[in-house]
Amino acid sequence: MPKKRILGPQVKRLLTGVSDHGNEHLLEVETDLVQTTILLAEAIEKLGGSFLALHAAISAQQQEIDLLISSGTASTATVGKLKIIQGDITRHINSAVTSLQFQDLTSQLISRTMQRSAGLREVLSTLGVIGDGIPHDGGSDEIAVLLKEITIRLETQSQELKGLLRKAVTQKHLDSGDIELF
Amino acid sequence: MHNGVMMAKTILAVDDSGSLRQMVAFSLKAAGYQVIEAVDGQDGLDKARNQVVDLVLTDQNMPRMDGLTLIRSLRALPSYQKVPILMLTTESGDEMKAKGRAAGANGWLVKPFDPQKLTEVVKKVIG
Repeated sequence: MPKKRILGPQVKRLLTGVSDHGNEHLLEVETDLVQTTILLAEAIEKLGGSFLALHAAISAQQQEIDLLISSGTASTATVGKLKIIQGDITRHINSAVTSLQFQDLTSQLISRTMQRSAGLREVLSTLGVIGDGIPHDGGSDEIAVLLKEITIRLETQSQELKGLLRKAVTQKHLDSGDIELF
Repeated sequence: MHNGVMMAKTILAVDDSGSLRQMVAFSLKAAGYQVIEAVDGQDGLDKARNQVVDLVLTDQNMPRMDGLTLIRSLRALPSYQKVPILMLTTESGDEMKAKGRAAGANGWLVKPFDPQKLTEVVKKVIG
């Protein structure tokens, strides 16, 4: 009579292996996301500062240009050109202000990703905890019961995670959003 | 008016993102408004109680107190029954807009905003 194959230890190793490796890699993912957040925050601080400084300089320059124009020394053609350039500058400034909001949107997306990663680590921990409970000489019936328990808990955790991670950022481009007055 | 001088209208800008607040303040100050910044809903409520403003512009997803809760809290104050409140948020779904309207918001702006359009809508609402 062939010896009955005991799968308990292998299933246990598989579940704890998935749990441990998964946790390890997701922790690395979260570390990288934290670093990304820090770099983005620093970038926007510098960009924002440079933008405001640039705008202040342009405004000061415009005041001097306005003085020159009002003194009558500039030709009509020059005044016309300066007005066009001023219009271009205003458009570029507005575009820059819209674009400088990228950090707000991306940090929300990163935060959501980190929450999902943390939630996924919890899900993987479930595999490890229940897997630990598999007896060394467990037969297929016992394993089947525990695997069913894992399935139920994973479905519950996954639904809970979905509920927590409502998608608040759907923008795919940095075009300005809609405005609606009620 | 104060001593015959027209005082600039004041806007309370509530957002947990420093860079976003910076851009809102830049855009609205350039249009001649005074801007008070708040870092989250609770800070916004505290500042709104200290000084009645002409308009509140608030984000939705913030720590301590979110935008909808801030709006409901402001509408519960007698001094804020009629003050216009606009949401400025990444959220664009109809369900959230309906919640905003039910809470007492007067308008919904989806991020990112264009400074010219923001100024136009603020001007339309408070002059």
